[in-house]
Amino acid sequence: MSDTPHTAPRGRIDWADPALSERLRLRKRRQFWLKALGLGAVGVAALMLFVLIASLVVTGYQAFRQTHATIEVNIDPFQVDPANIRGGNFDDIIETAILAYFPDVEAPGEQREIVRILSDGAEFQLRDRVLDNPELIGERVSITVPLSDPYDLLNKGLIDRTTPEENRRLKDDQIARFDTLAEAGIISQPLNTALITNADSRFPELAGLKGALVGSFYALATCFLLAFPVGIGAAIYLEEFAPKNRLSDLIEININNLAAVPSVVFGLLALAVFIGWFGLPRSAPFVGGMTLALMTLPTIIIATRAALKAVPGSIREAALGVGASRQQVVFQHVLPLAMPGILTGTIIGLAQALGETAPLLLIGMNAFITSAPETPFDSATALPTQIFIWADSPERGFVSRTSAAILVLLTFLVTMNALAIFLRSRFERRW
Amino acid sequence: MNDMRMTERARLMQDIKISARDVNVYYGATRAINDVSIDIRDKTVTAFIGPSGCGKSTFLRCFNRMNDTIESARVTGTIELDGRDIHAPDLDPVQLRARVGMVFQKPNPFPKSIYDNVAYGPKIHGLAASKADLDDIVERALRRAALWDESKDRLTASGTSLSGGQQQRLCIARAIATEPEVLLMDEPASALDPIATAQIEELIDELKENYCVVIVTHSMQQAARVSQRTAFFHLGDLVEYGDTGQIFTNPKNERTESYITGRIG
Amino acid sequence: MTLFAFVLLFTATVLAYLLNLRAARALRAGGARLHSLGGFHGGFAALVTLLPALVFLLAWLLLKEPAITVLLLRTLPEAEIAGLGTGERQLIISEIRTIAGGRIFGSPAEWKIEAADRLLAMRRTADYLMIALTALLAGGSMVIARRRVTPDFRARQGTEGILHGLMAFCATVAIFVTLGIVASLLFETIRFFQMVPVTDFLFGTNWEPQIPIREDQIAAEGAFGWIPVFLGTLVITVVALFIAVPVGLMSAVYLHEFASRRFRAAAKPVLEILAGVPTVVYGFFAILVVAPALRALGDMLAIPIAPNTALAAGGVMGIMLIPFISSFADDALGAVPRSLRDGALALGATPAETMTRVLFPAAIPGIVGGVLLAVSRAIGETMIVVMAAGLMAKMTLNPLDSVTTVTVQIVTLLIGDTAFDNPKTLAAFALGMMLFIVTLLINILALRIVRRYREIYD
Repeated sequence: MSDTPHTAPRGRIDWADPALSERLRLRKRRQFWLKALGLGAVGVAALMLFVLIASLVVTGYQAFRQTHATIEVNIDPFQVDPANIRGGNFDDIIETAILAYFPDVEAPGEQREIVRILSDGAEFQLRDRVLDNPELIGERVSITVPLSDPYDLLNKGLIDRTTPEENRRLKDDQIARFDTLAEAGIISQPLNTALITNADSRFPELAGLKGALVGSFYALATCFLLAFPVGIGAAIYLEEFAPKNRLSDLIEININNLAAVPSVVFGLLALAVFIGWFGLPRSAPFVGGMTLALMTLPTIIIATRAALKAVPGSIREAALGVGASRQQVVFQHVLPLAMPGILTGTIIGLAQALGETAPLLLIGMNAFITSAPETPFDSATALPTQIFIWADSPERGFVSRTSAAILVLLTFLVTMNALAIFLRSRFERRW
Repeated sequence: MNDMRMTERARLMQDIKISARDVNVYYGATRAINDVSIDIRDKTVTAFIGPSGCGKSTFLRCFNRMNDTIESARVTGTIELDGRDIHAPDLDPVQLRARVGMVFQKPNPFPKSIYDNVAYGPKIHGLAASKADLDDIVERALRRAALWDESKDRLTASGTSLSGGQQQRLCIARAIATEPEVLLMDEPASALDPIATAQIEELIDELKENYCVVIVTHSMQQAARVSQRTAFFHLGDLVEYGDTGQIFTNPKNERTESYITGRIG
Repeated sequence: MTLFAFVLLFTATVLAYLLNLRAARALRAGGARLHSLGGFHGGFAALVTLLPALVFLLAWLLLKEPAITVLLLRTLPEAEIAGLGTGERQLIISEIRTIAGGRIFGSPAEWKIEAADRLLAMRRTADYLMIALTALLAGGSMVIARRRVTPDFRARQGTEGILHGLMAFCATVAIFVTLGIVASLLFETIRFFQMVPVTDFLFGTNWEPQIPIREDQIAAEGAFGWIPVFLGTLVITVVALFIAVPVGLMSAVYLHEFASRRFRAAAKPVLEILAGVPTVVYGFFAILVVAPALRALGDMLAIPIAPNTALAAGGVMGIMLIPFISSFADDALGAVPRSLRDGALALGATPAETMTRVLFPAAIPGIVGGVLLAVSRAIGETMIVVMAAGLMAKMTLNPLDSVTTVTVQIVTLLIGDTAFDNPKTLAAFALGMMLFIVTLLINILALRIVRRYREIYD
C-alpha cells in the first residue's frame, strides 16, 4: 500500500451505491428517533405542567363556592341585651331558627345534630351583624350562613351518596336532614368571599386567606424596602466603581454562591440571628421579610449588574465628556436607562420570594392565627406557609381550600411575571 | 438570444460543474441575492470577489444548501450540480454536502484529535471498509492538505492545538476526506498570517487538478493569484463574470472597474 | 413610638436639606462663587443628618429587647430564680412578657405581675430615651452640616464620598450575610458538639432525636448519627436526577436543534412556568396526586410501596428540576460556536449527528456544571420532602421505601420549639452546617466548571 502515491485522490464515490443509500436511510431513521425522543421529553414536561394545573383546578375550584343556608332568625330582645350585645345568646337564636324546619324532632341529641349542619361561625356572623346595626334587635331578619364542612362537601357532590353507609362521612339520617333543608329551598352556593375576607380557622368552611395575604404583603414590602436599595447600591458599586482587586472578586464569588445556598439555611440564619440573638418577635412578617431580603439580594444584584452592563459605554463617555462626575453619570444617565431591566429583575426576585416557604417555617410563620396582622410585627402566616398548614390539616374540606389557595398564589405569581415581561418588552432598548 | 447560445456552447466546450439560474436569497423580508445566474467550470478555481456585505458568501452557501440551516433564509431559483437540481426532493442535503465540501472563514476544527477530525466525514458516511482503509483515507487527505509531515507523529493530539494555518489546512483535509467533487472556500485565508496564507493559496492551486474550487475572497490580489475565473458581486447582483485576467485588466462593467481601481469597497 | 422616631428623623433630614440649600443660595445671591451647586450642599446636609441617627436608631431597635431582658432579670427576686437553668429563665421571661402584653392566663405569682409592670416601665423609658437621643443626634448633625456651608466647601465631593461609601457598604452586605450564616451555624453547631461527640454525629448510623423530658436526660436517649439522614437525601436526589437529567437534556437538545421557532416560542413558557412554581406547590402535588398514584400502581403490580416512598418526593423533585437542567443545557449548547455546527453540517452530518457527535460533546462541561447545580438544589430542597418524604431515618437505598432527608429533619426539629439549649434543636444547626458545606462545595465546583468552559469559547 505504501507504494501507491498517497497524494492522489481515491477516486469518485458512487453515491448511488445501495450500501450507501441503505446507510443514509439508517442515519435518517436515527435522526427521527432522536427527534421523537426530544419531542417526547418536551411532551413529558408539558404533560406534567398540565397534570399539576389540572389537578389543582379540579380539586380547588369547588372551594371558590361555599354552601350556605338562608334562615329567618328572630332577634329576641330577651336574648340580646342592647347594652351588652357581645354577651347575647346568639347560638340559641340560630338554634331556634334552624330547628323550625324540623318541627317533629324533639330528642336533644338529634337537635344537636341538626344544629351542627350550620357552621360554628353562624352565631358570630349574626353577632357581628347586630353589632353593626343594633336596631335589628327585636326584628325578624333573614341571614345567610355557611354550612359546616361535611354538608358543604355533600352539597358539592364530594360525598358520594352511593357509597355504603359505614364508609361514608355522613350517615343516611344526616343526609335526610340536609335534604329536608334543601327541599325547603334555603340552601344556596354563592361565591366564597370568606376565602379572601376571613383569616385562618379550624373549620374549613370559615378558613380564609386574609391573614396570609396581609402577612405576605408585609413580608414582601419589607423584603423590597431592604433588598431593592441595598441591591442597587451594591450592583452600582461593583459594576461602576469597584476597583479590580481581590476583595471585588471575593464579593463577586460570594454573591454567586449566596444565590445557590439552600433556602432552609437562610431560615436557620434568621432563627439564630434575628430571633435568637436580637430577640425579634417570632412569626412576624417583618422578620420573614428580612430573611427573604437576604435571599432576594443576590437576584437583584445580578439583574441590576446585567442591566447596567447593557447600557453602552458611549452614553457614559458622552456624559463624562460634558464634565459630569462619575456619580452624576451613573445616577443621571446610566441608572435611568437601566431601570426597566432592574425593575424586571426585582419583580422576578420578589415573585420567587413570595413563593418561598422553608425559611418562613423556621421563623414560625406557620402559626395558627385567626386574625389578620395589624402591623408587620404581629404574628402572621404567609401565603405559602398557609398552604403548608392547610395541606397538613386532616379535614377533607382543607384539600380543596389548599388547592384554591395555591391557585390564588399562582395567580399572583403569574401576574408579577407578566408585569415583568411587559416591562421588559415595553421599555427594553436595543443598542 | 445570442447570450443563450454562448452559454450553451460554453456548456459543450467546457465541463460545467455547477449551473445556477435566477437565484434569489431572502433573509426574512430582505433580499440578499438578486436573480444571479452563473456557470462554474470543473477543475478550475473560480473566485467570488466584491465588497463586504455584497452577498458573495451567501451565494456560495447556496451550493451546498447551508442556507437551509439558517431558519430565516429562503432560496429560490435553480442550482444544478452535474445537470441535476440540488433542490430535487430525492437529493438529500446530507449527501449533497458530502459531495460539495466547504471550508470556512475561521478555522473550525472539532475539539477532537487530528485523526478524528479528518476521519469524521468518512465515518459518518460509511466510506471506509476497515480501520486500515480509514487510516489510508486520513493519510491521503492530510497529505493532499500538506499537513501530513507536520502531523503524522501526533495524530492523536487535539485539532485545536494546531496553529491557525495548520488548523485551516486540517479543515481542508477534513473537507476533502469525503472525496467531494466541489470545494467551497469562504475566505479561507482571511484569519491567517501572510505565510500561512501563501501555503493555503499554494494548496488551492494544487487542489484544482482534481476539484472544482469556488473561493470567496475580499482580497483582489488573492483572487488574481489563485483563480482562473472571477465573478464580481455588488449589492447582491452578479455584476461581471469572466476570465480572471480579463476582469482585472479589462473590466467591461463600470462598477467592476471602480472596485478594481479602489473607488468602491 | 418607633414610627414617630422615624418620622422625626426623616423630617429632620428634609429640613437639613432645605436649610443648607437656602444657605447656599443666599451665599450665591450675596455674590460669592460657590465651589458646588446648592443641591449638593443640601444633599450633604441630608446625608450627614440622616445616617448617624439612622444607624443609631436601627441598633437601638435591635438591641433594645435583649438589653431590657438582661436588666429585668437582675430585678427579679433572687429567691425565685436562683439555681434555674437558662431554659427556665427564658420561660419566666416570656411569661412576664405575656402578662405585660395584657394576656393573663390563670393566676400568676405576685412578683411576676410586678416584674411585668417594671417591664412596661422600662419599655416606656427606653422609648422616650430613643426619641430624645435620635432628636439630639439628628439636630447636632444638622448644626454641624449647616456650619459647613461656605463658598469653598467641596459639597459635591463630600456628598459623593458619602454615597460611595454607602454603596461600598451595600456591596459588602453579601459578605456579611455569608459570615452571618457561617457564624450562626458554627456557633450553634459547636454547642451541639459539646453535648454530642463529633464522631457520633459524623459516623453514627442511627438517627433518633428524642425530646429530652428532663434536663438530666439530655443526649442520654437520643441518637444523632447523620449518615442515615444523608443517605435518604442521596436516595431522593438520585431519583430526582433519574427523571430530570434525561427529560431536561432531551428537551434542551430538541428545542435547541430541531424545534421550529414557533414550537420553541410555545415550549419555553411551559418550562419557565414549571421553574416558577413554588416548591410548596410541588409538595402538595406530590401528596395529592403522585403518592396516591404510585401506591395504586404498587397495589396493581403487587409491589410493596411505602406510603411516603422516596419515589414520590424524588419524582416530583425531578419534575421541578427539569427546567433547571434544560436551561443550563440550552445555555451550554448555545455557547458552542456556530462554526463547529456549520463545520459538521458542511461535511454532510445530519442534524442529529451534528448534535450527538459535535455539539453535545463540546457542551458537556457546561452541562455537567448545570447537573451539579441541580444536585445541590435537590440536596437543599426542603418543602417537597417535608411534605412528601418520611420522618424516620433508615439505612436503606431502596427508593420504594420511606426515607427522610437532612432538610426534613431540620424543619421537623425546629418547628414549634426554639429553646436553644437542647441537642434536639441544636442538631438541626449541625445538619444545617453539613448541608451548607456540602452544597457550597458542589456549587463552587459547578461554577468553576461552568466558568472555565465559557472561557474556552469566549
